Amino acid sequence: MTKVYIPKEVIEIRDHIRTMKIRGAGAIACAGAKALAIAAEKYVGNDVNEFIKYIEYVANYVRSARPTAVSLPNALMYVMNRLRKSRVKSVNEAVKIIVDSANEFINYSLNAIKIIGELGANRIEHGDVIMTHCHSTAALSVIITAYRQGKVSKVFVKETRPRMQGLITAKALVDEGLDVTLIPDSAVRYYMRKVNKVVVGADTIAANGAVVNKIGTSMVALAAKEARVRVYVAAETYKFSPLTLIGELVPIEIRDPTEVVSPEWLKENPTVEIFNPVFDVTPPEYIDAIITEKGVIPPQAAILILTEEYGLSVKEIAELSGKVEVSIEED
Amino acid sequence: MMKLDNKCNEVIEFTKKLCEKLRNGEILSSTEAAFTVLDVLVRASEVCKTHYNEYLIVWLPKILRSRPTSQLLINSLRQFLHQYIHIARCKGLDEALSNVKGIVQSIKEGIDKEVALIALIGSRRIIDGDVILTHSFSKTLIEVFRRARDEGIKFSVYVTESRPIGEGLITASTLAKLRIKTTLIIDSAVRYVMKRVTKVFIGADAIATNGAVVNKIGTSAIALAAKESRVRVYVTASTRKFSFETVFGELVEGPVLNNPDAIIPKEWLNKLSSRVRTKAPLFDVTPPEYIDAIITEVGLLAPQAIPILIKEVYGWPPKIIDINELINEVKDLD
Repeated sequence: MTKVYIPKEVIEIRDHIRTMKIRGAGAIACAGAKALAIAAEKYVGNDVNEFIKYIEYVANYVRSARPTAVSLPNALMYVMNRLRKSRVKSVNEAVKIIVDSANEFINYSLNAIKIIGELGANRIEHGDVIMTHCHSTAALSVIITAYRQGKVSKVFVKETRPRMQGLITAKALVDEGLDVTLIPDSAVRYYMRKVNKVVVGADTIAANGAVVNKIGTSMVALAAKEARVRVYVAAETYKFSPLTLIGELVPIEIRDPTEVVSPEWLKENPTVEIFNPVFDVTPPEYIDAIITEKGVIPPQAAILILTEEYGLSVKEIAELSGKVEVSIEED
Repeated sequence: MMKLDNKCNEVIEFTKKLCEKLRNGEILSSTEAAFTVLDVLVRASEVCKTHYNEYLIVWLPKILRSRPTSQLLINSLRQFLHQYIHIARCKGLDEALSNVKGIVQSIKEGIDKEVALIALIGSRRIIDGDVILTHSFSKTLIEVFRRARDEGIKFSVYVTESRPIGEGLITASTLAKLRIKTTLIIDSAVRYVMKRVTKVFIGADAIATNGAVVNKIGTSAIALAAKESRVRVYVTASTRKFSFETVFGELVEGPVLNNPDAIIPKEWLNKLSSRVRTKAPLFDVTPPEYIDAIITEVGLLAPQAIPILIKEVYGWPPKIIDINELINEVKDLD
């Protein structure tokens, strides 16, 4: 393909994901689906094969915005799979499939948050003190649903350096009327003994049930394990990473030093290296359950989500990844 | 109320501000805290003269309450009062007053000597290729790293920013200026980097008799992550940091910052400050089972062996006088 015209709205969406104006794995996924719908609607031309090439190009372009959250490629895959399987004959038909599937995904995502809230709230007991980290729509849905049922007495929210997403969470919770205490990340172990349950979100969940989430999550989980506090991860099924099933590692994004210190400080201290990883990996043994819209599962059952609920076989996943060649013999 | 000349009033104003700085964590290392307080005692003795005892009676309890976790401060002031009262009783108040500078000088020299010894012993625990993780700002630890560097040992250091105060930036800056390879991370990243780390070095504000370590908030989470990764944890603390009070069951309680702007940035204050609680404790307690060794000026020992060391140095039970009793004794001097 020579030159591909990408609509400026799509460029903007990718940009906002990259600069974290759009943030949170769920929001990124929906934005990705929406970008495909916009690109499809703006397409000019009659050749359906050209259209498929074009929309695949756009999907790759959007996918490259951020590396860690699997929700983005999964959302794009959700939409693209429906196009691939439908053997369309005209551009109009193809555009309709893209737009419809994108909307379907977004609706599914919103509904998933609601179901997760209800299932997760079942796990919260009367008078519970909850700790949460970063900002997760799914985790918030659990906490707020449980609060409306009169169960939550108090929430400790970690500030979540360097981007301070804890402030967004704190505001969302006080807006609902919850009793919120904001603490520095360094105070996680100090306050853990006052907590009954930890509820966090996830960016990506690997096939073994390991949870990739905002840096600091694994420290929260470790401190919780030490204090015998239960840890729940709230996550839509599209946060499970199919590629990890075939051994791929989840890449951890390293972001700019100026998120941690000011440019002036960097200039004054040119030999200090700033290491700013955005996510960490919490091993499955520190997690009591993952709350998905398909049910509450032990992390070790992540494989169930990937194969059964996802409707993908290992072979299909390998093919979709495009990067790995595996031959699996079928009966 | 007593009439004081201007210079004495200035010292009192300064002391008031000093208490505030001790309380909000602006004075970072506990050594620095002790030295600053000792210096102000000298200044007060020079300008408040006949009102000096009154100054001590009014301000020492306030100073102590401003940083209740700093055992170095408590023990140094105890030593100071002990000597001051002794001279006042034997030779009179005037003599005691003129000796304040000398007493303070000898205490400070003692502390410096201990730091040098700890630096020597601590540096021996660092070997070529070590990747060290440290937290907060500790004058003693800087000396340990400086010493190891001077010995030609090649090692690198991860430093946490150490919120809510953020004094890790000063540690990082200081180490980098010593040409030690330094990497700054956020507090949340300690478990992430722990698998790359070979040793953890931390300072201490106080050591309880059971070997528990009171240090800047975040220390106990680091020690926990280190234990999980089988990384050794070393604590540097002179015997002056031992909390004798805990022998008698006292708890060490640390200050907690409640002011919203300790955590919430300016642009969010309007949205949140009156609606959410903010709590930023400045110290936490690391249990002895997470600590591999405490490095003191008399040697390196297991945290569980602290009572043995206390017995060696101060007798058992340690013969110490409650600092508040000493302050009361000052009242009887006139």
